[in-house]
Amino acid sequence: MLRFLVLANDGLFLYYLCSNLIYLALLIIALRTSARHHRELKSQPPEWIKSSPLAPPITLLIPAHNEEKSIRTSIRSFLSLDYPELEVIVINDGSKDGTLRELNEEFGLRPVNAIYVAQVKSAPVRALYRSTRDPRLVVVDKEAGGSKADANNAGLNAATSPYVCVLDADSILEPDALLRIMRTMLADAQRMVAAGGIVRVLNGSEFENGRMTRVRLPKKSIEIIQVVEYLRAFLIGREAWAQFNLLLIISGAFGVFRTDVLRAVEGYRGSAIGEDCDLVTRVHRYLLEKGQDYWIGFVPDPVCWTEAPSDIRSLARQRARWQKGLLDVLWANRDMLFRSRYGTIGWVALPYYWLFELLAPVIELGGILTIVLAACMGVLSHEYFVQFLLFGYAFATVISIGAVLQEELTYKRYNDWGDVARLVTYCFLEHFPYRQLHMLWRLQGIWQYLRGDVVWRPQTRKGFQSADAR
Amino acid sequence: MEFVSELLRRIGPAHFVFKAILGAFLVDALLLGFILLRRTYRKRYFTRYNARASHFQKCWGDLVSGVNTDDRWCRNAFDRDIVKSLALGALETAKPAEAARIHSFLRGSGLLQRTIHEAEKTRGWRQRQAFIALGRMRAPEGVPALAEGLRDSNIETRLAALRGLGYTGSPEAGKEILEWLGEGRFTVPALPIENALINCCRERPQMLLPYLEAKDAPMREVLARVLGEVGTAALETDLIQIADDPHPELRASAARALGHAKPRIALPVLEKMTEDEVWFVRLRAAVALGELRTSKAIPALIRALTDAHRFVRFRSAQALVEQEEILQPAIFERVVELGDAYATDAYITAAENAGEYGSLLEALRQSPNMDAERRERLLAAASHRIGFGGEKRPEDLPAQTVAQ
Repeated sequence: MLRFLVLANDGLFLYYLCSNLIYLALLIIALRTSARHHRELKSQPPEWIKSSPLAPPITLLIPAHNEEKSIRTSIRSFLSLDYPELEVIVINDGSKDGTLRELNEEFGLRPVNAIYVAQVKSAPVRALYRSTRDPRLVVVDKEAGGSKADANNAGLNAATSPYVCVLDADSILEPDALLRIMRTMLADAQRMVAAGGIVRVLNGSEFENGRMTRVRLPKKSIEIIQVVEYLRAFLIGREAWAQFNLLLIISGAFGVFRTDVLRAVEGYRGSAIGEDCDLVTRVHRYLLEKGQDYWIGFVPDPVCWTEAPSDIRSLARQRARWQKGLLDVLWANRDMLFRSRYGTIGWVALPYYWLFELLAPVIELGGILTIVLAACMGVLSHEYFVQFLLFGYAFATVISIGAVLQEELTYKRYNDWGDVARLVTYCFLEHFPYRQLHMLWRLQGIWQYLRGDVVWRPQTRKGFQSADAR
Repeated sequence: MEFVSELLRRIGPAHFVFKAILGAFLVDALLLGFILLRRTYRKRYFTRYNARASHFQKCWGDLVSGVNTDDRWCRNAFDRDIVKSLALGALETAKPAEAARIHSFLRGSGLLQRTIHEAEKTRGWRQRQAFIALGRMRAPEGVPALAEGLRDSNIETRLAALRGLGYTGSPEAGKEILEWLGEGRFTVPALPIENALINCCRERPQMLLPYLEAKDAPMREVLARVLGEVGTAALETDLIQIADDPHPELRASAARALGHAKPRIALPVLEKMTEDEVWFVRLRAAVALGELRTSKAIPALIRALTDAHRFVRFRSAQALVEQEEILQPAIFERVVELGDAYATDAYITAAENAGEYGSLLEALRQSPNMDAERRERLLAAASHRIGFGGEKRPEDLPAQTVAQ
């Protein structure tokens, strides 16, 4: 028993060391690549797409479920995006509130019989409408499919462009976000099948008519910690993984896909809990099985602002859902692990996600239990324990500050000195007790999945109106 | 595992872990220090930059016209960059007379020569920025340096040079790009090449024709797409020849360009192309028939409504709906006579999307030359829906990534 405890504690130390070293390597890669990207932007600005007659059309897919509070503002904002050939499809996913009425009042909808071919599965479509005030806007009114994936599938059937951009109805895209993401897609149009942009936390910022007017850090600790998390996940994780074509997730809040590829993989899996991760993994699988040369990228400069949970309960639900989604995707694709036909996805990306993302809370909990047990049995060196904690703390802080540094060196959205000071402060504070709570929420997600609770539940949000008033 | 355990225990607390903790906190401190220093530096830099930019903006007229003879800014790299950036910004919106004045200033002040020098002598991102600046200056002197950049070994540099040549929009730049492509150096993505060539070949699209005879298929595709954009009625004879090319992309581009030709010449060619074996050639032909703006294209467009591909049907219907309003009842009657529900559906959809559906119904109700039975039949057809949610023709293919 004693021997087991000693081994478990050493194993835990090695696990954290590996996890942090991998993240450190990702940080170094991300710093290098984003510096290169930043320079490229200077010599190849995306504005040329605006004046190019060959710019391909793009369809925005916006699923809306009970979004009456914010739908007018957000659709107005999407229609005013800076892109020459735009089609906006709003999918009213069986809303029980006045979403459709709001759309009708704002945009003057008339029923149309637009060509709609049900190539991918979705719940039945009740009607199609086109705006009389802006013919670029199409509304697909469908029965509730129970998931965002189902709504996106209906939108995919109605899309008429070679590229689709999936968004959340309550997100805000920066005006040039589509130009920026398409610049990368078109730089290698043959190989690029999908790309994700960066998602940032809008809580605390000021905006008007669906446009960001001033970027500020939120006030609440729980929101600031999420800002740090988003910066770390996008500016380090996704930026670096994308360099090796190992991206397994493109955020459902903002991603561009080639329409033909999405249709070829039969769109989203309706029952998927983490539909965004599931889709990207299936795209990898499909293209690898076909033996195609392809690339799935991440572009760090096109920005989508999204509302993050502002209370513990919502955050806990969101993180449990993410963990459930991850388990759902990894389990469904377990046959890709360590198979040569799936290349580095099967040998590197998926094992990493299993070991350092999915099982992290389980290993962490196991580690805490063995440490407590070792302390009770008198085999824990207190000196060693304290140093282990300090080491883990300092190393993890390096990664978080590295993410803030990355933001400072490149995109610098937080201009206020006070905001940066608070951001850095929370790099030190997020490790206790937030990290332990996060572990519990993730464990809860795994437990819910194992118990068979696999229903997709939309997140409750405040909407623009309330946020505008803040 | 035992080895690791022993190793950690031996070197652990005293050395490795202690050093690691110190190291990590030191890195934390360094990162923070760097962020603070960088912020302070940038704040000072931009304060200075804005002050100088504001100073030059105030005396911009005098500076460009040569009234202000104080040329100290030329010897200061910081000031020089500000003046260059102001000049480039002014050129973007300048009318011809003002542009000539700015060009003269760029030459007289040595800014143009210096940018050419940077484009030729520097490397990496500095060189790429010089290429873009040179392109934005739209001066013929810059073209040779940009052309040289096309032959660089680095793809980013080649792209920047290409972009620069595209900005100039001059036929000379177009000639350089075409020569470079002719050397078999098709080594950058297609879209930037097409974009640059569209800008540069608009004045003289005929310069593309000799290069279309090349054997390199991807290059011909690129040039064909450019020709489709910039082709004019003056190239009718060549376009008719290209319309018979074995490569579908070339045929599609010829169809696109023929939309700007004289209807008398283009019509028979485009009618034939609506029966092409490749769907996007048929689609382009249908669009071009609509662009001819002649009622003589109507029979071919009605035939195209029965096409196996839904995009062809839809674009043909769009072209029909865009015909004169007075012709719509007669067009609709002929569509109904086809007895093809998909053709009728495509036409009604196009009418709805164009906001003309109500007018069509009204025109059918008010049409004086129609007996009651015919009217009822047409109104019933106009109200019929195939409906959505699964029905499609068996021949329908999934949408592909082609120019829509």
